[in-house]
Amino acid sequence: MDIAALIPSPDTIPVHWVWFKVLLIITFMAHILLMNIMLGSAIIAFFSGLNRFPERSTISLQKEISEKTTFVIAFTINFGVAPLLFLQVLYGNFFYTSSILMAVFWISVIFILIIAYYSAYIYKFKFEELAFARVYFIGLTVLLLTITAFFYTNNMTMMLFPASWTQYFDRPSGTVLNLSEPTLLPRFIHFVTASVAISGLFIAITWQKKKKSGSADADLNVKTGMKIFFYATLFQVLAGIWFFISLPKDIMLLFMGKDTTGTMVFLAGLIAAGLSLIFGYKNKVRPAAFSVLVTVFFMVIMRDMVRTAFLKPYFSIEKLKVIYQYSPMIVFFASLIIGIAAVIYMIKCVHSIKT
Amino acid sequence: MPAPARGVVIKKLFFGAVGFGLIMLDNYIVNYPVWDLGFFGGGTLIAIIAVIHVYVAHFAVGGGLFLVLTEMKGYRENSADILEYTRRHTKFFLLVTMVFGAITGVGIWFAISLLNPAATSILVHNFVFGWATEWVFFLVEIVSLFIYFYTFGKMNKQDHLRIGWLYFGFGWLSLFVINGIISFMLTPGKWLSSGNFWDGFFNPSFWPSLFFRTFMAFMLAGLFGFITSSVVKEKTLRNSLEKYCARWLLIPFLFLLASAWWYVSSLPGPQKLMILKLSPEIPPLVKIFLIISPLIFISGIFMSIRMSDSVKKGVTISLFVMGILYIGSFEWIREAGRRPYIIYGSIYSNSVSEKDMDFMINNGILKTSRWVLTKKIDEQNQVRSGREIFRLMCISCHSAGGFMNDIKAATGKYSQYGMESMLNGMGKVNEFMPPFPGTNAEKKALAAYLVNELNGKKEELRSEYSITPTEPKIPLFDPAKNKYVLLAWSGKGMHFISDNNQFFSISQPGNTIYAQLIKRGKTPEIVTGNLRISYRIEEGFNTPSSNSDFWQYSKSFYGRRINDNEGFSGRKTTGDMVFDESLMAFSAVDLPVIPYRDDGSFVPFPVVYVEARDTGTGELLCSTGVSVPVSTEMGCRNCHGGNWGIKNITGLSDETSLDILKTHDRLNRTNLESLSGKGNPRMCSNCHAGEQTGTGEKSKHLNLSAAIHGFHANYIAADDPDPCSNCHPSSGFTKSYRGIHSRIGLDCTNCHGKMEDHALSLLVSERKEGKGEAERLMKHLRPRAVDNVKQIEPRKAWVNQPDCLNCHTGFNPPDTDQSPPNVWTKDKRSLYSSRSDEVGIMCPACHGISHAEYPATNIFGNNRDNFQPLQYQKNAYPIGANKNCKLCHTMDKTEEIHHPNMLAIFRNIH
Repeated sequence: MDIAALIPSPDTIPVHWVWFKVLLIITFMAHILLMNIMLGSAIIAFFSGLNRFPERSTISLQKEISEKTTFVIAFTINFGVAPLLFLQVLYGNFFYTSSILMAVFWISVIFILIIAYYSAYIYKFKFEELAFARVYFIGLTVLLLTITAFFYTNNMTMMLFPASWTQYFDRPSGTVLNLSEPTLLPRFIHFVTASVAISGLFIAITWQKKKKSGSADADLNVKTGMKIFFYATLFQVLAGIWFFISLPKDIMLLFMGKDTTGTMVFLAGLIAAGLSLIFGYKNKVRPAAFSVLVTVFFMVIMRDMVRTAFLKPYFSIEKLKVIYQYSPMIVFFASLIIGIAAVIYMIKCVHSIKT
Repeated sequence: MPAPARGVVIKKLFFGAVGFGLIMLDNYIVNYPVWDLGFFGGGTLIAIIAVIHVYVAHFAVGGGLFLVLTEMKGYRENSADILEYTRRHTKFFLLVTMVFGAITGVGIWFAISLLNPAATSILVHNFVFGWATEWVFFLVEIVSLFIYFYTFGKMNKQDHLRIGWLYFGFGWLSLFVINGIISFMLTPGKWLSSGNFWDGFFNPSFWPSLFFRTFMAFMLAGLFGFITSSVVKEKTLRNSLEKYCARWLLIPFLFLLASAWWYVSSLPGPQKLMILKLSPEIPPLVKIFLIISPLIFISGIFMSIRMSDSVKKGVTISLFVMGILYIGSFEWIREAGRRPYIIYGSIYSNSVSEKDMDFMINNGILKTSRWVLTKKIDEQNQVRSGREIFRLMCISCHSAGGFMNDIKAATGKYSQYGMESMLNGMGKVNEFMPPFPGTNAEKKALAAYLVNELNGKKEELRSEYSITPTEPKIPLFDPAKNKYVLLAWSGKGMHFISDNNQFFSISQPGNTIYAQLIKRGKTPEIVTGNLRISYRIEEGFNTPSSNSDFWQYSKSFYGRRINDNEGFSGRKTTGDMVFDESLMAFSAVDLPVIPYRDDGSFVPFPVVYVEARDTGTGELLCSTGVSVPVSTEMGCRNCHGGNWGIKNITGLSDETSLDILKTHDRLNRTNLESLSGKGNPRMCSNCHAGEQTGTGEKSKHLNLSAAIHGFHANYIAADDPDPCSNCHPSSGFTKSYRGIHSRIGLDCTNCHGKMEDHALSLLVSERKEGKGEAERLMKHLRPRAVDNVKQIEPRKAWVNQPDCLNCHTGFNPPDTDQSPPNVWTKDKRSLYSSRSDEVGIMCPACHGISHAEYPATNIFGNNRDNFQPLQYQKNAYPIGANKNCKLCHTMDKTEEIHHPNMLAIFRNIH
């Protein structure tokens, strides 16, 4: 079967593809960081909640996570919408196809998220009343979010690998998963581990702030957060290596000298990751946070380069036909500025309460 | 080429066209695989997610204003209770809108991209910055709602209210943006030609839709307000809040109705027509909308007056349910209004782009689809290919055995032929579905899959009914002694009736007979005076009303009860014929004849015996017989399903009849099924008045012939070699067409033309008389014999018919076997059945009636059709054929008095 013939023809785009690429990368980075905090915090809260006789600081840690998780879920979903939109603009013909192949799982994400979200709300609003039983609710949220992440990993890899699409003809009912893909598992683990690491760091940042307002458990929790961050990042390096070597050889080699930009990005990412580890080990929260942002930035770029490389035999976004119309984009940027201004104003209002 | 001026470039960049077509890299048109949902079908999923989402999403917009204004009310009345209520309502609001509303919104996006990826891709690529803008508004909504809720009572009043206003403002702006895209799908307006973002966004229904949705949002805010106020413990507060919420429900409701009216009137013609007249899906939804409207109003009033708590709780729950039905029915009407498209005028519901339709019809679905295994259909893979076609083209809307648009239920009635016809007519008369975008072979393959595999139908065995020909008793004729020749013929070669009268009747049972008596001699005379010609139907047919329920329903058909065993004009099965001076012939009109004998046998050619007597002496001058053809063997069941009504050989079954009524009701919004259910079945000609006996007042509706041929011509495939016999009694036992022309191999089309031309000539005539309905049926019919519709000569049924002399020029053997198109008899008098030679002998008197011209063949007994030639000449040829002038003239003749070429020897030996 001619695999290339299965790939749908793309539609035209209204402005140069670079705009979409930049928007995709920025919004995806926001989404992935939020997703990391959402999933990782929930995992941390769940595991620390398993202890029937916890220390006070552990409960305050969980309580703090319970307060924040619902917000983070809301923003993760919101910031998931934007990159998914820009992804569809650039790679819709691949993305729609792989989504249809795994349609049952893909649509189930909606129902799974609703349950996960409500479970997180119960965990939050009934934190005290539930006592130990609250662990079931955060546990359910963790389970469902992990499943969601697994489905996302499936879709994002399947869209890159049209050769796997022929499975459709045996199972057209939307039940295909990309399980035979060698990068699937390391990729999934790489993202889940990142969630734990970044959430550890996020806990440290949160409690460091609390320290200023004199919270009793702050010190302990900052330390816990940094500890989680350090070990998870260490594990993340291993998971990263596994992911890296699971890539097809020609794609892997792009980051090992074959392609200059690719190699530079990879190196920059590695250096930033190394720094993150060092700062993590030394409990230096701010520098660690900064180096993590840099690491994630380069990893996101690298992820995009991997995508481009996977699709290269079939497609390149440079070839997308453009029929120019810039005015809607200008309206978008104007609304973005107004939106940001409104958010800043509102945050100011919140701050004015404290003063 | 000179460079365009800078201004032009900028203008183009800002307002230029966004692409709305696929980049054609090859011949593939159907790009995406189809999620085979089987039992569930695509529609179910969309319906569930969409209805829930729109309900909550509108609440999210209107509820924003409700929050702020209720908070203000709290401050104004200095009521801590109201403020506490507002805070609690906000929590409820947050949990409902932020979780359910937000995620189901993403859910719709997921669902449409899975079910209609091609259309979703066009929406995304054209409106990407619309979606992106909406995303920004959504983000601000989240931030503001969180802040609003979590700072309730902590922030200073002004700031807090401002945040509430911001929430409402950005929520409404989200609606503003989404409204542009949703209304675009129904009315893309100028976008269709320009491809410009703004043309699509600010489309013809943008503003009315925005207002409608805004009022709906306010109304729902009040409706949801009842839910939270019903749990307020303090009675006075609860009552006052319920009154307050009732105002929220009732005031916007009036504006909602006004904007609904504006909405409908803003729709362009085709969409309005689909909603108001054509869509079979919409009437029940409109009914729901219209029933619920006053109920909501009344419930609102109930909630604002003093009632017991339990009643109010009950009303609150029913309001909640009514709300979802209300908005659900509206959204459904809107979606159904854009049928057969998903983006009106651009992308069909099956994701085929309108501009690609012809290419696909010519090249086929399989060849233009990426995601198929079979590219070429053969006998082995026909059903498998049909399944692939079904998946590609049908499953995005239809389930297979599920709740939504179940294809099994919709096609269960069809035979292979019926299914193919249905596919052929899809998107034509019934524009609710797109046209079938494939080749004839693909149509057959899809039909084979649906009929044989999905519905498991087996090929039907032929009826085992066998006919024993029974020849009538032919009186002896002695050329030496008998002084008279009595010639008789029926008015039509075949009259067909529908015999399941409890549902409807297509025409009254009966046929007319004519007779001329010729006094033999050297100068024969047509006898008209001192003459009594009587008729008597053959034994077993004397009491037709005991074998048919027509008489029982005659009052419903004609407004008067026709006596049992009498014809429409009062004729009985025996009686005298009357002289018609204009024809120089005796006639007995509308004899009550049906094709069932008292012994239960089916005989569509009963014989009427005719006797001529001298009125003075009573002497029998001559007697003869004539068959009066009448049949119930119409092929409606080929497409309308059901079995034969009588003994598996003939007649309309209940199932077939009911399906005909249902189809008519669905496509024309009539209530024939309900009328028949109440014992008031209709006669087709009550509305479709034409030339039939007992026809109704002429009306705006098409005459029956134009309506029935015009409608069915859209369905019957152009490559069907014998389209007429699928409906007219021809393919089974009854042979309508049994004269010499049939014997020598001519078919219906040799005289009447192809089905499309036949139908178009009738429709053009009706259109000329100002009957707009003709347009709907003509729209997709293409003439076969001429290049375009303008060249078609209008024709009235039963008046303008093919003239025998079209081919038999000058009464000579024809040079052609195809009657020239669009040449018809001028008027009724020039019809073969009404015409006579120069001495007054009518054409059918000697040649037999049309469709059964002598010599005819008939499995029920050849003598029935050739009665008089056999009686007078001992052969079946026309009267006087082969120079048999002496039959009347008592001597040989050399002059061709009756018509030229009459002295030639009969060419087609029987």
